[in-house]
Amino acid sequence: MDEEPERAKRWEGGYERTWEILKEDESGSLKATVEEILFQAKRKRVFESHGQVRLGMMRHLYVVIDTSRTMEDQDLKPNRLTSTLKLVEYFVEEYFDQNPISQVGIITTKNKRAEKLTDLAGNPKKHIDALKKAKDSTCGGEPSLYNSLSLAMQTLKHMPGHSSREVLIIFSSLTTCDPANIYELVKTLKALKIRVSVIGLSAEVRVCTVLTRETGGSYHVILDESHFRELLMFHVKPPPATTTSECSLIRMGFPQHTIASLSDQDAKPSFSQAHLDSTSGGPGLSMGGYFCPQCQAKYTELPVECKVCGLTLVSAPHLARSFHHLFPLEAFQESPLLLHHRERFCEACQGELKDKSVFTCLSCSSVFCVECDLFIHDTLHCCPSCIHSRSAP
Amino acid sequence: MKLNIEGLLVYFPYDYIYPEQYSYMLELKRTLDAKGHGVLEMPSGTGKTISLLSLIVAYQREYPLEVTKLIYCSRTVPEIEKVVEELRKLIEFYSKETGEKNNFLALALSSRKNLCVHPEVSSLRFGKEVDGKCHSLTASYIRAQRHSNPSLPSCRFYEEFDAMGKQVPLPAGVYNLDDMKDFGRRKGWCPYYLARYSILHANIIVYSYHYLLDPKIADLVSKELSKKSVVVFDEAHNIDNVCIDSMSVNITRRTLDRSQANVETLQNTILKIKETDSAKLKEEYRRLVEGLKEANVARETDIYMSNPVLPDEILQEAVPGSIRTAEHFVGFMKRFLEYLKSRLRIHHVVQESTPQFLKDIFEKVCIDRKPLRFCAERLRSLLRTLEIADIADFSAITLISNFATLVSTYSKGFTIIIEPFEDRTPTIANPVLHFSCMDPSIAIKPVFERFQSVIITSGTLSPLDIYPRILDFRPVTTASFTMTLARTCLCPLVVGRGNDQVAMTSKFETREDFAVIRNYGNLLLEMSAIVPDGIVAFFTSYTYMENIVASWYEQGILENVQRNKLIFIETPDAAETSMALEKYQEACENGRGAILLSVARGKVSEGIDFVHHFGRAVIMFGVPYVYTQSRILKARLEYLRDQFQIRENDFLTFDAMRHAAQCVGRAIRGKTDYGLMIFADKRYARADKRGKLPRWIQEHLTDSSLNLTIDETVQLSKHFLRQMAQPFKQEDQLGLSLLTLEQLQSEDMLQKIAQIAHQA
Repeated sequence: MDEEPERAKRWEGGYERTWEILKEDESGSLKATVEEILFQAKRKRVFESHGQVRLGMMRHLYVVIDTSRTMEDQDLKPNRLTSTLKLVEYFVEEYFDQNPISQVGIITTKNKRAEKLTDLAGNPKKHIDALKKAKDSTCGGEPSLYNSLSLAMQTLKHMPGHSSREVLIIFSSLTTCDPANIYELVKTLKALKIRVSVIGLSAEVRVCTVLTRETGGSYHVILDESHFRELLMFHVKPPPATTTSECSLIRMGFPQHTIASLSDQDAKPSFSQAHLDSTSGGPGLSMGGYFCPQCQAKYTELPVECKVCGLTLVSAPHLARSFHHLFPLEAFQESPLLLHHRERFCEACQGELKDKSVFTCLSCSSVFCVECDLFIHDTLHCCPSCIHSRSAP
Repeated sequence: MKLNIEGLLVYFPYDYIYPEQYSYMLELKRTLDAKGHGVLEMPSGTGKTISLLSLIVAYQREYPLEVTKLIYCSRTVPEIEKVVEELRKLIEFYSKETGEKNNFLALALSSRKNLCVHPEVSSLRFGKEVDGKCHSLTASYIRAQRHSNPSLPSCRFYEEFDAMGKQVPLPAGVYNLDDMKDFGRRKGWCPYYLARYSILHANIIVYSYHYLLDPKIADLVSKELSKKSVVVFDEAHNIDNVCIDSMSVNITRRTLDRSQANVETLQNTILKIKETDSAKLKEEYRRLVEGLKEANVARETDIYMSNPVLPDEILQEAVPGSIRTAEHFVGFMKRFLEYLKSRLRIHHVVQESTPQFLKDIFEKVCIDRKPLRFCAERLRSLLRTLEIADIADFSAITLISNFATLVSTYSKGFTIIIEPFEDRTPTIANPVLHFSCMDPSIAIKPVFERFQSVIITSGTLSPLDIYPRILDFRPVTTASFTMTLARTCLCPLVVGRGNDQVAMTSKFETREDFAVIRNYGNLLLEMSAIVPDGIVAFFTSYTYMENIVASWYEQGILENVQRNKLIFIETPDAAETSMALEKYQEACENGRGAILLSVARGKVSEGIDFVHHFGRAVIMFGVPYVYTQSRILKARLEYLRDQFQIRENDFLTFDAMRHAAQCVGRAIRGKTDYGLMIFADKRYARADKRGKLPRWIQEHLTDSSLNLTIDETVQLSKHFLRQMAQPFKQEDQLGLSLLTLEQLQSEDMLQKIAQIAHQA
């Protein structure tokens, strides 16, 4: 998150033993440990890449957010709910950035019920708006895994077989209140190839362990807020496709953005199809837009599934952005600065290498600093110096 | 893998080994080499059983003349089955590795109830009924009668076994109870008698403690076992109580009434027989004059294990004349019963020593010490002569005669306490005569004397030096092993104060204190909100639990707890408890979460494991001292002080701490498991209590986890639970707490291993 979440007063928080992680070095100074902690914070864990495997690029993901009583706990600041919603917002943005041809829906669960906050859709704005609104809602009662999963399942089971069906549960409570035996549902989920992953906010719960193990998802429990964020980001990457999922060719439209020139007398402002059913404001009428190559319906934003003929409309950059998942950039080799004797400057930012470790690209053996390494792997997805050497004749 | 333990080739059926297992085998080997006894403590879940089995089996193969038999004693039938399964794995590994056909015979033995295959008999519900019914079909004189009258019912399995089974030994292999039954069914042989017969030549026997320690059963089953056996008592932290129980006798009015009826029956039968077949009684008389010489010969030639109920002097003498004829003996028993009845008609508590009792009985009804001593033997002979089919009916009179023999044999180590009523219900007259054994070494002595090596082992035997003292033997090795861990998967915390700084303790003076009860309630409430799945809470006694739960209910604490988790309660009723347990596990399984309130020393604290999610936290409310007002306990404490120089307080603390350790140890059943251990009493922080916990718990009990408040506990627990929820793979353990053969052989690992064993 960019801005620091507003902190509760220190005395309102729980009892923490902050001094226990600090250790004195030989001279009795704390500097070394503090630096170590900062460094560790910067260098987030790099998740091992899948290598050359088939990935489920078209994802249909339901995010289930627990909004039960336990979300009022203040061990994440200011409380679990606010912190979670903020992170999920960020997640949604990141998700669409990395998976432009995928969709997301949000479900909340409290008082033993599950409610759909937003339907499966490819438009990040709608979700973020809903999440912002949800911040003011109250937490209460107990969550129900069964109800949320069956709600998600109802929609997901109709999704085409070539797409990956996923549920991500953010689970704060330690209990679930179910109307029926959840293990029956797990079997159904497994048969429908719905992958359920769970991020636990408090501790390892047995039913989640079984649920994720059976459906092939992952189960993690957060340590603190930054770990939480890391775990969420882990779900941005598309998962490997299950071997049994269908292969099929998908028809896609690549509409051009056209703006009718004002000189054209026939041009009239028109509604975007996407706006027709959404009540949220925004300019309803516009001159330009993307026109579906099949049925000429107009949309102001891509990617989208055509409301009229069901064609998936994307733009070429979207596909290109998904592409890097298939050929991920290999992790750079980490080595201590002391062993590094060549140039003392980072290849990318040209800053001096000051941190304890440096990172070396395995193919072009250029050296980078921690920040640039993160930027390259998280955002660029290609090594700048490799690209540079290739393009230069 | 194949290990080299000080020159002994040991086959170990797994690819990986824990360092402490290696260390354990090392110590065990040394014990066997020295032909002595050993006390070994190793935490549960670190593979004690397989280490024991693989080493002793290897030893047997290497030195077949030194060690001929392994007798493995465990507590319950499921535990016995577990041991047999491990053994099966080991033997399979042997035959796979060596390629030769395995010639080992290993079998489990249990009661008739678990082994009977007779369609009618096995359907009976209670063990006693099965025994009685079986006896009525298979006793020797019944079968003799059948020769003349073939219409009498018989057990065809026993008949088949008797006719064929004894000629061919049981083929080599590993038999658990079901295998025995299958084999029995296939051949048409009685599995129970087959097993009993086969243990004589089996290489490994797995059975319950009682077959060795209870003199009545040991005499039937185990007395012919070879001297060169290794005896292992697993889960032996309660062995002293088992010994004491097996030697103690409780007599109530009901027992006396039933014995009275027994005596009547005996008398009638004698009369009847006299009319029909008086020669039989004469024959018996002659035999008794001869005395028990035969038995004496057998014992001298060392075929049998000695029996504490049948002391040596008896064997050398003939049965005294006063009880030699059947009528006289019955009259004698009648007198004895009348005397006991008169003793039970009291209004105040009487405690006396055995010599006092004997003096009194001599003065009042002129019963001498000598005939009393022969009571048990005489009764047995009479029952045999009278051809009484259903022995089960005569359990009351057998009990009385055993009591008579014991009371006249031992002048030390026993006490007699007669209580007119139970302490809890002083208005209801319910007189009980407790003949209680105070010296566990009496029952176990023959075992130590007879067998060349006896190994006592458990997860909680601390402090190690006390067992040799109370069981009166000299061990050659006593060692405690710690658990090597790749991550700290146990988190013992001592909670001493509530958030209001009021000390939490179950001390007698403050246990009724409102603030203490409320703080205990708050602790449970807070923990129920942060611990996933199952929590097990132990109280010191049923009454204390009832009190606390009642006042929690009034204070509304229970209601709040129930918002987080379901609550189940252990009761003294076994059926109710097992029902509660089943539902508890279901609730843990499907994510509802549950709390089990139970009692230290109860069924749950001893036999039930709470692996993984079934027990993520154990809360021990208070220190589980025994009920110190009990007269039996007081007498025992006095005896311990006088005879073994163990101070009352030391023993009480030792006893309380071993039970506390047992309770909290329920949660950790292996290295991948994790759990919180919360000691909710400030007294645990004191060095004398803390020092008596097993070493593997003590190690993790740092100064910073002592005397915490509830808040601090919650924070530490939350942190711990999150840490433990992080992914943990086998690779993380490798090299640290899990070793391959190569890793094991490295120099510094061997050095590290040497430090694991902690000699006491």
